This record gives sequence, structure tokens and C-alpha cells, in this order.
Amino acid sequence: MKRQALTATLIAYAFLAPALVLMGLFTFYPVFYGSYLGFTDYTVADLASGEGPRWVGLKNLQFVLGDPLFQTGILNSLKYLLVVPLLQIASLAVAVLVNQKLPLMAFFRVGYYIPVVTSISLAAVMWEWIFQKEGFLNWSLQLLNLINAEGRFNWLLNEHTALWAIMLVTFWRGFGYYMVLYLAGLQSIPAELEEAATLDGATAWQRFWLIIVPLMRPTLLLCSLLSTIAAIRVLEEIIVFTGGSGGPLNSTYTALLYVYNKSWGNMLNANFGVAGAAGLLIALVGFALSYINFRLTREERGER
Amino acid sequence: MFKRWLTASVLALSLSALAQTQIEFWTYYLSPNFDNYIKSTIADFEKENPTIKVRWVDKQDTMERDLTAAVALGKAPDVVNLWQDSTFAAAQNKILTPITQLVNRNVLNQLYYPNVLDMFVMDGQVYGLPWYGWLDQGVMMYNPDLLQKAGVDVRTIRNTDDLLAASARIKQATGAYGWLPPVKDPNGASFLGRFFLEGLPVYDKDGKAAFNSPAHVALLQKYVDAMKSDVIPQELLRKEAFQLSNELYSQGKAAIVVGAPTTLNRVKEANPDLYAKTRIASAPLGKAGIQTGGAMSLVVPRASKNQSAAIRFALFVTNRTNQVKFANVVPIVSTAAGSENDPGLKAKSNDPLEIGKGMNSASGRLINPGFKPPKNTDDIYKNFNDNIEAAFLGRKTAKQALDDAVAFWNANAK
Repeated sequence: MKRQALTATLIAYAFLAPALVLMGLFTFYPVFYGSYLGFTDYTVADLASGEGPRWVGLKNLQFVLGDPLFQTGILNSLKYLLVVPLLQIASLAVAVLVNQKLPLMAFFRVGYYIPVVTSISLAAVMWEWIFQKEGFLNWSLQLLNLINAEGRFNWLLNEHTALWAIMLVTFWRGFGYYMVLYLAGLQSIPAELEEAATLDGATAWQRFWLIIVPLMRPTLLLCSLLSTIAAIRVLEEIIVFTGGSGGPLNSTYTALLYVYNKSWGNMLNANFGVAGAAGLLIALVGFALSYINFRLTREERGER
Repeated sequence: MFKRWLTASVLALSLSALAQTQIEFWTYYLSPNFDNYIKSTIADFEKENPTIKVRWVDKQDTMERDLTAAVALGKAPDVVNLWQDSTFAAAQNKILTPITQLVNRNVLNQLYYPNVLDMFVMDGQVYGLPWYGWLDQGVMMYNPDLLQKAGVDVRTIRNTDDLLAASARIKQATGAYGWLPPVKDPNGASFLGRFFLEGLPVYDKDGKAAFNSPAHVALLQKYVDAMKSDVIPQELLRKEAFQLSNELYSQGKAAIVVGAPTTLNRVKEANPDLYAKTRIASAPLGKAGIQTGGAMSLVVPRASKNQSAAIRFALFVTNRTNQVKFANVVPIVSTAAGSENDPGLKAKSNDPLEIGKGMNSASGRLINPGFKPPKNTDDIYKNFNDNIEAAFLGRKTAKQALDDAVAFWNANAK
């Protein structure tokens, strides 16, 4: 019996091994090496001349923490997190709606998913048109008498609105993705549970809070973690809408844009030490937020 | 007998293979549009140099990182096409062999326009052979209907001040923009170009940034006012002027495009009727009377194992014959000395694009890069652009913005 168990274990590890090796090479090693670089002086000149990184301790971390551009970046990244609860609530609500057996539901499910598969460059053309001074958003607001003709402005060129405008694009792009995940979660809930609750006289609202939400907790945790991490490392939208400058007036300059500009933005001017230190700080923020996410879920279960 | 012949042939083939050098040539965004030109140039070179074989690789947005990685891995290409800023950065990071170690400077002086060659000089050494160039001003392309509607006679537009004045009249009379000047293009510091076009220096005699004199401030203020009154669009703070000009001109929402005549290719595609109407004139210049612009270089990485074959090939690609041929494929500006008199650059018809191409391609002697970028261009330009943007958005006065940019530049330039 023991021998059988050992064989089963070995077979299991044999199946896991290829994936672990690949993850080790392409995920864990870069993460650890990148973090190590954060404590070294290492530039393109060193790389080109074959010189290795030189240990400098906390110098890069001190530099990054004192750099006003990184401070702006991390602040903007934290602001960006506001998209997470909105995105989760909206996609869960719509998932519950499209989970109904009503006509045209298949059409809506596909419709909501289209932005997920739309390329960001294509989406940018549409959203730029919406956000411009003579665009759809101002036109709609004017129609609702919320602004007048003089009140129109380009949403991407105003430092108070640019970040929110880009967050709206992230919301639009992520909405269908999370909705599908929630939909999958909802469809795994046995129909009998809801039916039994209905027979017991539970209202739709009670069924939602007392049956659906507790059973959806693992999906909720997964989705909120994924969107938190996505928000803290937002980059694509920023580059597309601001040309990588993080404008106007750095109001859309995020922490990951800082890392990108210090490393890959113009590699011939790259400073891997500074980029590594900034990346490490962002990772720490990501870990902290993930921990909070886990804690919140545990508290809800009463497992303190 | 046959056996002996076979052995001799195999031996001869092996020896010729041994004597043959293979070099790797990296270009930047030239494939697939210019495949025929590049391949035929390589074929011509290989015919003249049977012992050298060229392997061509076209890189796109990963050029800089691929070059860095290849050098680090010991698999460096032999000839690489870079921008001026990238050439400087690569030279500063000791990635490149100084060309002057491979070719005598006097020879280079005879082969290329001195103004363009000087763009690739750092610490007294030339680091890149000038290849195809461009002019920021180039030529002026205009929509005669919009100008007529605004009562603007094109002959009265002689300098950049006239351009701004004409733009104001066009905007007022037609609602379309006139001219869209680059003020904050990404990956550069466009407004510095406005300074040296008007004869205002970027550096003082000690090499310190000094673009905050009252004349500099007044010039910035003039453009800030133009944006404030919507004579030039605010969108120029977010989009490259070239891209926005193209879009708006093709839609009939801008009357004038100043730049490379290649713009007309896009207009021809997007709006053939407007293309047929479009007229060409000389580009109005600033008070300095210079055309600003730049050039791409061909460099030889220090880690190249075939430096003599590499430089031979780079000299061949950048010679006048090949640059003029290239200018006939796409209106690049030839950087080879004497191109202004080359019969290959004369317009062959009255087509606007043909006239523009001829005028533009033979103007390499007019390219003036204006100033040498500092080592840490990324940080310096970012700060400069942030300050320019703050002035345009009214968050700083023009004086404050330029004072802050100069202070940062002088404190941080390496």
C-alpha cells in the first residue's frame, strides 16, 4: 500500500515537473533576479561590457522612494484601485442578470464579452472620440443639461479627469471578463438550493445575499485579487492614451509606467537597478493588497 | 580522374566558404515596405564584394532591447541602423566602435554633409555614418480652397510668424486649423526645435542650458496664446503633430501641413480629391532661416566580429548612389555630400508629391539638428516636456516653466 502511494506521488510530481520547471525558469527566477537587481548598480553599460551587477544595498530603494515621479506613480496606481470594487460589483450584478433563463441572454453574454477581445489600439480610437472636446461624452452631458457649450473640455487633457477617463476604459475592458468568471461560478451553484430557498419563502434579495454570495466567495476572492493586481500594474491603457508620457501633468503616470520607462521604455538608457527597486516596491504593495483581500474574505467566513 | 576533380572542387568550395565573411545587418522599421530596395542594395554589395555575405534582419519596436540583449549575449550584429538619440546612448554605454577608428575622418568629411556627420560626433569621435535624413520643416503642403476662403495668399506666408498669423485667420474664417506645430511630441523635446528655428540658443557658451531668456519666454508665450485661443489644437499635447496634421488635413479640418512630402501618401489614400487639389510651396522657416531635422545612422557595435566587412558595407549603403536611389523610392533626405546637384533627385513630373520629393530629398545640406542631446535624455526631456505642458495648460507661466526646465536640466544633465 505504501509502495502504491509512493508511486502515485511520484507520478503526480512527474506530471507537475514540466510546469514547475517552466515556471521556475520564466516566473520565479525573473522575479527573484529582478528583486536582487533592485539592490545593485546595473546599467546598459555594465550589461554591454559584461560586468555584473554591483551590490549597493538600499541605495536604489532610497532613490526610488525619494523620486517625486515614483511617488506620483504609486499614488496614481493606488487611485486606480478604485476601479476594482466598481468592476466587481457591476460584473457580479450583470452576471446574475444574464444567468436568467430569458430571451436574448446569449446575445447579452457575447455582447458584454466583446470589449475583452477588442484590441486596445482599436478601443483607443473609439474612446478618444468619446472623450474629445466635441465628443460623445460632452455631447451627452450637454443633452442632460449637466454642462453648457463652454463647459466642454477634452477629458484626456484635463489633469483632474484623465485618470478617471482611462479607468473607465479599464472598467469597460475588464467588465466582460469578470462577468464570465462570475457566470461560471453562478452556474456551478446547484439549482436545488435556490429552489428550496424559494419554497421556504426567501425573497430574491435574501437568496442573493444568503445563498449566492456565500457560495460565490471563492470566485469573488479570485476576481477581486485578479483585478487588484491588474489595477496596480496597469500600463497598456496609459501608454496608448498618453503616448507613455503619463500626462497631462503626470496625472496618469502610474508606478508601473515608472518601471517601464526606467527599463524597457528606452533600453539604451535603462537603469536595471532603479527599475528593479521600483518593481520590488510595487510587488510589496501588491502582496499587501492581496493579504488584505484574503483577510477580508476570512473575516466574512468568521474564521479569524 | 573524376575523383580527383571532385576532391579539388570540394576543397575549393570549402576554402571559398572559409574565406567568406557573413555579416548581420539590422534595420529599423524598413520591412516590408522597402524590402525590394534593401535586398537589391545588398545584392549589389555582394556582387562587388563576393567574399562578404549580408544577412538582413529588420527590427521594429524592439530594436534597442534586442541590440542590448544581443551585445550582452555575445551575438552582436555587425551593422545597425539607429536614431541619433539611440546612437548617442549606445556610444555613451560603450556599445559602439567609433567609426573614426575604422575610417579616416577626412574621408568621412568628403562623403557626407558636415552638418549631418556632426550629429553623430561625441567626444571628438564619429559614432555613426549618416544614412537617410529628414527635415522637420521639409515643404509646405496646403489646401488652396481653405486658404482662399480665409483670404490668405500663400505668398505672404514667409516665416513661422506668418504661419501662425495665417492659421488664426483660417481658424476664424473656416473653423479649420491652419498649421499644427510640434510642441510636445513624445520621445523628444519638440519645443526646443521652435527655439533654434527662431535663432534662440539652447545652450550658452559654457554648455549650460540657457533657454529661459526673455526672448525664449516670449516665443513660448506666443504659442501658449495660440493654443489658448484654439488657433492650434490642445490635442497637440497628447498626439504627435505629424499624426494629428495627417488626420485633420485629410478630413479637411486643417489647411496646412509643414513637413515631409510623404504625408501626401496618406492624404492620397484617405482623400484622393483633396490630394489632387493640394499645392506645394517652400516651407516657411523661422528667423534663423534653418531647416531643423535629423538623420538615421549606421553604426558598428564594438562586439561585432567582422568590423572591416561591416564598415565596408555601411559605407556602401550610405554612399550617394544608394541614398539617391532610396530617395526615389521614398522621399528621404540624402545625407551624402553633393546630393543637391544629383540629377537623380530632380522632379520628373508636375505631380505635387513628385515636386515635393525632389525639393525635399536634395536638402540634406540644410538639416540642422540644432543641439546635442544630453546623456540622460529620458529624464531631461521628460522634465522639459512636463514644464512645456504646464505652460500650455496654464498651470505655470511661460517664464516659470522655462526657468524650472533650465534649472532641472542644469542640475541633472550628465
